[in-house]
Amino acid sequence: MFVTRKSLSRRTVLKAMGGVIGLPFLESMVPAFGTRVGAATTPRRFGVVYFPNGAIMQQFTPATVGSGFAFTPILKPLEPFKDSLVVVTNLTRSHPGSQVGDHAVSAAGFLTGVWPKRTEAEDVLANTSIDQIVAKQVGQETPLPSLELATEDFTGYVGGCSPGFSCVYMNTISWRTPTTPLPMETNPRAAFERIFGEAGTAQERSERIQGQRSILDSISEEAVSLQKGLGVRDRARLNDYLDNIREIERRIQQVERRNGSQVRTPDAPLGVPDSFDEHVNLMFDLTAAAWQADVTRVFTFMMSRELSQRTYPQIGVTEQHHTVSHHQNNAAKIATMVNVNTYYIRFFARFLDNLRSIPDGDGSLLDHSMLVYGAGMGDSNSHASDPLPMVLVGGGVGTGHRHIKVATQTPVGVLWSTVADRFGAPRIEKYGDGEGMIDGLF
Amino acid sequence: MRGVALAALVLGWLTVSTSSGGPQAISSQQAFLNRYCISCHTEGSKPRGVVPISLEKLDLTRVSQNAGLWEKVARNVSAGVMPPANAPRPDAQASRVFQDWLTTELDRASQANPKPGRPMLHRLNRAEYANAIRDLLDLQIDAAGLLPPDDSAYGFDNVADALGISPALQERYIAAAMKIAAVAVGDSRVSPDGVVYRIRQDVSQDRHIDGLPLGTIGGTQVRHTFPLDGEYVLQAKLYRTNLNIVRGLESAHTVEFSVDGYSVHTATVGGVEDLESLFQKPTDTGDAVDQRLRVRIPVKAGARNVAVAFLQESQVAGAGRLQNYQRSTVDNFDWSGQPHIQTLTITGPFGITGPGDTPSRRRVFTCRPTSTSAEVQCARQIVSALARRAYRQPVTAADMQRIMSFFETGRRSGGFEAGIQAALQRILSSPQFVFRIERDPVPGVAHRITDVELASRLSFFLWSSIPDDRLLQLAANGSLQRPAVLEAEVRRMLADERSSALVENFAGQWLRLRNLRNFSPNSDLYPDFDDNLRQAFRRETELLFDSVMREDRNILDLMTADYTFVNERLARHYGISGIYGSQFRRVPVTEQARKGLLGQGSFLAVTSHAERTSPVLRGKWVLENILGLSVPPPPAAVPPLKERVAGEKPRTMREQMAEHRINPVCANCHKVMDAIGFSLENFDPVGAWRDKDADAMIDASGELADGTRVNGVVELRQALTKHPELFATTMTEKLLTYGLGRGVDYNDMPAVRGIVRDAAKDGYRFSRIVMGIVRSTPFQMRMAPEKESEGIDDVRH
Repeated sequence: MFVTRKSLSRRTVLKAMGGVIGLPFLESMVPAFGTRVGAATTPRRFGVVYFPNGAIMQQFTPATVGSGFAFTPILKPLEPFKDSLVVVTNLTRSHPGSQVGDHAVSAAGFLTGVWPKRTEAEDVLANTSIDQIVAKQVGQETPLPSLELATEDFTGYVGGCSPGFSCVYMNTISWRTPTTPLPMETNPRAAFERIFGEAGTAQERSERIQGQRSILDSISEEAVSLQKGLGVRDRARLNDYLDNIREIERRIQQVERRNGSQVRTPDAPLGVPDSFDEHVNLMFDLTAAAWQADVTRVFTFMMSRELSQRTYPQIGVTEQHHTVSHHQNNAAKIATMVNVNTYYIRFFARFLDNLRSIPDGDGSLLDHSMLVYGAGMGDSNSHASDPLPMVLVGGGVGTGHRHIKVATQTPVGVLWSTVADRFGAPRIEKYGDGEGMIDGLF
Repeated sequence: MRGVALAALVLGWLTVSTSSGGPQAISSQQAFLNRYCISCHTEGSKPRGVVPISLEKLDLTRVSQNAGLWEKVARNVSAGVMPPANAPRPDAQASRVFQDWLTTELDRASQANPKPGRPMLHRLNRAEYANAIRDLLDLQIDAAGLLPPDDSAYGFDNVADALGISPALQERYIAAAMKIAAVAVGDSRVSPDGVVYRIRQDVSQDRHIDGLPLGTIGGTQVRHTFPLDGEYVLQAKLYRTNLNIVRGLESAHTVEFSVDGYSVHTATVGGVEDLESLFQKPTDTGDAVDQRLRVRIPVKAGARNVAVAFLQESQVAGAGRLQNYQRSTVDNFDWSGQPHIQTLTITGPFGITGPGDTPSRRRVFTCRPTSTSAEVQCARQIVSALARRAYRQPVTAADMQRIMSFFETGRRSGGFEAGIQAALQRILSSPQFVFRIERDPVPGVAHRITDVELASRLSFFLWSSIPDDRLLQLAANGSLQRPAVLEAEVRRMLADERSSALVENFAGQWLRLRNLRNFSPNSDLYPDFDDNLRQAFRRETELLFDSVMREDRNILDLMTADYTFVNERLARHYGISGIYGSQFRRVPVTEQARKGLLGQGSFLAVTSHAERTSPVLRGKWVLENILGLSVPPPPAAVPPLKERVAGEKPRTMREQMAEHRINPVCANCHKVMDAIGFSLENFDPVGAWRDKDADAMIDASGELADGTRVNGVVELRQALTKHPELFATTMTEKLLTYGLGRGVDYNDMPAVRGIVRDAAKDGYRFSRIVMGIVRSTPFQMRMAPEKESEGIDDVRH
């Protein structure tokens, strides 16, 4: 409909800026975050990083419960962040004990807390995932309410990918509504353009902005002269056009005033890198830049797909991921799987390190967020429904270096209601299969 | 009298009479109203699902005072919807007399006081923007990548009211202008870019795909714009199974890359070695195979056809395996069979050697300065020509000044070509490019639009693009409005290939062809359905519409045509034998049920759900697009159809919708819609013929709003086309909406009636309808409101 200034939502206006500049442009960047992590301050950002095919839980789960646990081999790369880190054990995906549709159920059930509808056709049904609920709470003022990324492209597969379950269930972990899975972007270039609008080097983009201003001046002068002889409604429309231009100009000024050159926006990638390392790191870097530029505050990243068959010769794993995950209790295979699990966590650690180094208000990006690193599958060999690997990191967890063990087979939905509550969302009594929240988690 | 035919609309070729017939005529019309209408349409009437509007207090000597209401009356009576079938109905003669009187009165009032409509400043939509660039610069752009989708209203995305501007969009226009200018001029500072073209997974690639080189199967062809002379990398990837195993390596296949029909690279995939390796190291083998499908080649700048496909081998040498279903990608775990291409990525340019000799450079650089001192003069020549075409009106000195100042800035930093590029960027950013400007010197007075404004209206109507030089010329010398000239131009424009915009944009939206892209039938129930069929549905209906347009046929042929267009895939679906090959060709239709739109897959599919037909959607489509009746939305909280309980006998669609007929709140509208839908039940959700549903023979009988009983699609079609003026009126309204870029309201109905009457004299030819629209008051005139707040949102705060 006809857009008047009144009806321009803040997001519409901000979309303009996010598209061009990718630099922070909020009026005020220093809300009262409080002095230290540990106080009950509401985190501003939420991210979920998912890894497929499960883990060797004995080498994942800390031996002791409570504060000050020793870091296990798989969790070791996260030790530098121990003061902002909580491990939660004994969660389960829906239908504990069942292996039916394992990979599909693990992915689709992780952030939704439900057993997805068993169908290989197009009538898929799960639940609104928790990242979308958090996005409704904290993501409404940013150009992108949320960002969904992945690295393996199986989009659009028609039919079943896990016995009885549609491929749709494995291609994403985020669901906007119970029937609307959100597509995940696997191409870093496309992700870049979604976040920053224009490709090109940082230098090129900055030059572009300058060029824009002179065009904006010129066309607003032209628009004013065009108004003569127009009917009253048309004049009004051109007035809105002029308002839009003034709005864009104002934003440009604001950005320049704040000297946004601190943002480490990467150059636009060319496409999908051949190497897994490069691909994953690029996606993490883009996410960090998107957070820094406040283009979005919520993301989910599926590092690779459930049933992933990737090989990792760069760490000496020449057998495929899924094959390795079925270790059949063979010691050598278990060691290989631990190697893969640790390899994945190292990417996450690098990302956390990046977030920690980016200033945000009176702290860092890491201070003011909560990230989840986990999966919908526990022990890889048996496709176990529980206990699920689950690590929470960031200022949002409150006191760090804790290992919380909840009651056996606590539905993962219970964790998610607690997380949503932490972000200030309206309290959810029952999320997915879960009921209530975890006391004293944060 | 039941069973009487639809009250015939005024035969229509009565000229508008000058008198209303005197007090006796009025009293007989009043008697008609009292007898057939007022019993329900009275003050304080009880609601029967909907509250009937009162007709009691209307003054029949002053019809113009309630024109809006009277137009509704005329429409409902002519369509036979009112009086409803269970109430006393007038005979055909009496109804016709009433309608004649009513429409004559309405037409007369309109002639005396024309209201050509209140258009709103109209911006180009995405399709028009892309076509404008194509015609201005001979450059093809990916509009979907540059601009966001547009909102629609009244069923079309070129309606001025819905085409708002936001800062986000504004910013995209400026960014697009920058990109387009760079590519058009051949700016070598362009950084390498990667474009990924995907093939949908449900495309069957085991047969030839239309447009690709003969002798190939599967694959894809894209028209890619290479911005500069240089090297580009083409990379294809093959589809893998769910377990990441590349499909189709059982036997060797040759993949061929071609550019503009010339082979640039071939690679072999599959065969014994690959297969063995695949089972030892699936992922690594897959990656290695994909590496073979990569080539770096020099390409000259310009738009080129890039294709990647498999060479077709003889049936004997090939995989030759039995396949359960038409769709070649049914089983996601099946690694055997035919390989399939998943993506084609074009990256570059690398090693740029120059801007090349592209059509856009030739179009832009109409002169070349021989010395620095000649640069400004040449620039002025180029700029004035581009601006004139881009702004669609004479360029003022102020315009030139604005643009030339950007030329100067660009020239200072980068030379002559950079200056032209900056100037072009400025032109494309201008509101005069993005908006269609029409002036209203005196508010509140209806006036003719200028020739220049008419030229734009014509070209955006018929071509969805900017006027060409000839149109601009005729407008400039003031001859465009001369009837003979105008008619000749309309004919020329319809014959021009650019009128295919009417097929894509008008027919595509009116007939909902664009919705096909989102239609995905349940793959368990319809495993044969592939994207080849989906595309074929769309193409068939487009070609039918195109034939009616280009052959200047009777528009009713859309409903009754005894021919259609099929390719092998579609023919197989319809059960037409003897059709081979992927190209579309005209065939006669011998099956009565398949004649016209009602028997075409496109209509039948977009009006279905994933698992079942929807008689309601089909009925609604017919009511809205054929009969021109608007259907109110359902009330809130309508429960979904009950799921079948295990062990329960399956119910037919008719049985499942019994609630619609029982509940009086629903019955009002659903009686009409469902009856139409039931008569189409022999067509399943993907448009195939069926005799049974839920183990019972299909009962395709029903009663239309006016009491006509029909059984099956043939009788439905006959009933709908019995009064051709109904369909003609609906299509004229839609085409008028599309042509004006605004909703058509009661003020426009006299014009619509006039167009239909005129077209009837010439067998409802397509061009006659178009000419009627072009000559009509709303198209040729406009009137700005006097007061700002007249019937629109207040834009000031």
